[in-house]
Amino acid sequence: MSTAPITAPGGEATHLNCSGLLCPLPVYKAGLALGRLAPGELLVVTTTDPGALEDIPAMTRQRGDELVSVDRQEGIQVFTIRKGQGR
Amino acid sequence: MTSITRRGLGTDLSTRRVDDVRDLLPNVDNPSPLVRVNRVLAERDLDLYLKLEWLNPFGSIKDRTAAFLIDGLERRGLLSGRELVEASSGNTAIALAALAALSGTRLTTTIPDGVPEEKKIILRMLGAEVWETPDDLCPVDNPKDGAIALARALAASENGTRYAATRQYENEDNTAAHHETTGPEIWRQTEGRVRWFVAAYGTTGTVVGAGRYLKERNPSVRVVGVEPEPGHRLPGMKSFAEASEPLILDRSVVDHDIVVSDEEAYETTKQLWRAEALMVGPSTGAVVAAIRQIPVEPGDLVVAISADSGIKYTSYFEEILGEEGRPRI
Repeated sequence: MSTAPITAPGGEATHLNCSGLLCPLPVYKAGLALGRLAPGELLVVTTTDPGALEDIPAMTRQRGDELVSVDRQEGIQVFTIRKGQGR
Repeated sequence: MTSITRRGLGTDLSTRRVDDVRDLLPNVDNPSPLVRVNRVLAERDLDLYLKLEWLNPFGSIKDRTAAFLIDGLERRGLLSGRELVEASSGNTAIALAALAALSGTRLTTTIPDGVPEEKKIILRMLGAEVWETPDDLCPVDNPKDGAIALARALAASENGTRYAATRQYENEDNTAAHHETTGPEIWRQTEGRVRWFVAAYGTTGTVVGAGRYLKERNPSVRVVGVEPEPGHRLPGMKSFAEASEPLILDRSVVDHDIVVSDEEAYETTKQLWRAEALMVGPSTGAVVAAIRQIPVEPGDLVVAISADSGIKYTSYFEEILGEEGRPRI
């Protein structure tokens, strides 16, 4: 999995590029990436599959993470997620 | 990988000598064994035979499926230079990973996260990439098929150039494997006397493919599909109360659906180990337990599929054993 450090609105973040991947791949990869973060750290996920607009917020609720923001522009969605206290 | 540099003695199945492990794949001339069950279900007046698929080279009935799936991809020119991807509870993936390695490619498998660790480790030993997948991966749709959904997404990624999907749940090559091998073997091994054919539902390829063949030979053969209860712990089996029915499921072939609980399946598995010295996996216990519910006539010959051995499920067995077999102090 390819992740990279970036700066997000909430501070330093890890970036996961899921462009071109169909659901449920973005959810799966985001789950793996969050599993490698410490509680409170940020993950920014970029997706192009519109299914992620439903799946990623649902996943964050299910996992107990915080969905900080969702930005949509020209077929791209950018989710900023703060890892909760869970897995 | 070491390339083959010398010719061997040649394959001779009469002496069980083969020059390539794939020569051990089962077919009507090299059938998996059919073994009579003499003690379990002794209260029923029937002749029960188990077809021991765990004696196939990669350890399960899925050896047949995997060989046909790969052949199908090669025949259609869909394999060249691509990796394989498949959703599997382990056995198909194990056989695909072994055959893929021999074909110079590799397997990525999406595997439900409830599958025993033993299977995941076997897959990694064979060089496969293992994506453990929660059944409820898709939080919105929440079908009980997360591994299948993930395999489909992988196959469609990178414009379909990286992966060749074997799609065992919808690929008629799966059914054909059992129509062309499992069914004819059973017909020949029973001298056409088989009256009931019983197998577990998973992809449904075995039930439909072998069942169809046997009905073609004798329309009075009864075909039974065995299903677990929802929330079950019987790897490889599918409850259609919680999972989608595979596209290859042809219900016109099936005469009876029998639902079996985990408790019945594991208890019968234990009986098969201890009374018959057959070290079968839990789905075999489910299949044999189901036979208690079918309306056999006296003397009927029943063939049931023992899809795999219990060696890959020892961590599950440890749970059901509790303190059994430990010294009493």
